Amino acid sequence: MPDMEISEVLVQPYMLRAIAGIILIAINASVAGSFTIFRNVSFLVAGASHSALAGAALFILLGVYGFPANPLIGALLFAIATAFVAGYASKEETNTAIGISFAMSMSLAILFISMIREYAAKVWSLLIGDLFLLTYEDLYLITFVTFLSLMIALLFYKAFLFISFDSEGATAFGLNTRRYNYLLLSLIAISAVMLLKGVGAILVFAMLVAPAAASNELASNLRDVFIYAFIIALVSGFVGIAISFFFEVSPGAIASLLATTIYFFSLLARRFRGD
Amino acid sequence: MVKGKNEKEDIEIDAITSKGVEFGYGEQPVLFDITFTIKKEEFVAITGPNGSGKTTLLKLILGILQPRKGEIRVMGYSTKERDKIMNLIGFMPQKEHISSNFPILVRDVVMLGLGARKGIMKPTGKADEEEGIQAIKSVGLDEEIWMEKFAELSGGQQQRVLLARALAIKPEILLLDEPFNGVDIPSQNKILDLISDLRKKGVTVLLVVHNVNPLLHHIDKIMLLKNRIVAFGKPDEVLTDKNLISAYGASIPIIYCEEGYAHPVYSDIHG
Ligand SMILES: Nc1ncnc2c1ncn2[C@@H]1O[C@H](COP(=O)(O)OP(=O)(O)O)[C@@H](O)[C@H]1O
Ligand SMILES: [Mg+2]
Repeated sequence: MPDMEISEVLVQPYMLRAIAGIILIAINASVAGSFTIFRNVSFLVAGASHSALAGAALFILLGVYGFPANPLIGALLFAIATAFVAGYASKEETNTAIGISFAMSMSLAILFISMIREYAAKVWSLLIGDLFLLTYEDLYLITFVTFLSLMIALLFYKAFLFISFDSEGATAFGLNTRRYNYLLLSLIAISAVMLLKGVGAILVFAMLVAPAAASNELASNLRDVFIYAFIIALVSGFVGIAISFFFEVSPGAIASLLATTIYFFSLLARRFRGD
Repeated sequence: MVKGKNEKEDIEIDAITSKGVEFGYGEQPVLFDITFTIKKEEFVAITGPNGSGKTTLLKLILGILQPRKGEIRVMGYSTKERDKIMNLIGFMPQKEHISSNFPILVRDVVMLGLGARKGIMKPTGKADEEEGIQAIKSVGLDEEIWMEKFAELSGGQQQRVLLARALAIKPEILLLDEPFNGVDIPSQNKILDLISDLRKKGVTVLLVVHNVNPLLHHIDKIMLLKNRIVAFGKPDEVLTDKNLISAYGASIPIIYCEEGYAHPVYSDIHG
């Protein structure tokens, strides 16, 4: 890249796709990320993103054996399955249930990879991710799904908030808490998959949860949690891309590093404010 | 004349009746042989050791859980008709079951209740907000608190916000689950005064507590629970040595205050 002007680089298709990717990631980090914090299910994000990896591996395997299917669909199915396991488990068992499906998915992922060694790199790429390798097809799918999640979150905003705050009260006030819980957990799991190709399963947690966790410390009302989370994710992503332009480093890693650092500073800021 | 007849009928319908109710989460029944009647405008305390099924009983009354034997009726309606009874009952959950590790405002909390009653998908407007603020004032809180973070309020203020949320929908029956946990004595007294006012306006109140002492001078009846009803009636009839042993499995000393009320001294059972 060094022998190109910045302005030239900025209009390169791969760069434009990466920028679009960052914007979509920031929307997910704002909507699903904030609800992850409210509902207190951050472990689901780790579980879902790794289960998604197993789903993608399975679909790649199916492709090798003559049943071509988009790996992202497999990823979505497995992630949603994890959300349902989490929703089915009782409150005390949620984290254990997610942990076990996490472990099971990793076993499956490694099993599938061992069956298709020649294609293993395809699966590994989802573990690490690469913003610059996003294709137009990926972007269309991510845009469509992100838009859908946004609509669902807007439509059910109050219900999601109520069950996160006080599920007993929500039920008493007539909400179908179970149904909304499954819907919300699925929404979070789906968002985790939306970040998979761009930042990789390992870093999904950092990019989806850290911005909202940081903004939750700083914001003085709910609306600001969503706004700050969006801004933190967006800025982290852009800085990641900018730095990777000068140095040969992963933009996703820089972005995640920044987002998680902001979280720790926001903790400090809150302590200093004294609340 | 017609009006007089209606009024008579009104009085004859009891607020809550339970007949031979049994319920369990698994095989083992958590509650059994639950038969009682609570009349309109009564103020009843439900008490008993931890895990004795107090919260479960409230959930059965709310129709969140359904008995596997027997039936509960609220204002004459079976709890199976949830949409009928929902609008009659205001509920205040145990504060320990609430998670507010995010900047939810008092406004949000109260408006969620009003919104849920209206239909959670419908937008709430200025008029609803006005009602919410009225509810906050009615529990003796300052209007300023409306835009403050719920998590930053004191325990007593939080309880009163939850009470306001329950009252905003103008219920005929109010169910409160351990409203005094983490609440200082002055706030506790404020909540009690408020409940006394509500009763004068015709609201029936059921309150779960693990320590009945602060309530003794206010309530009409006590229900002593230990998976079944150990005793139900006037405080002095219920708080006998025999009943307390059967509920708590240990003798609890009883002292009598100047006004002649029996006060159990639980110190050994409740840490
Ligand atoms: N959702 C549940 N699933 C299984 N068991 C439960 C559930 N809720 C309560 N229990 C059990 O039922 C019993 C009564 O609980 P609860 O009604 O909460 O008691 P209390 O409110 O009197 O402390 C306890 O043994 C408790 O462990
Ligand atoms: Mg309880």
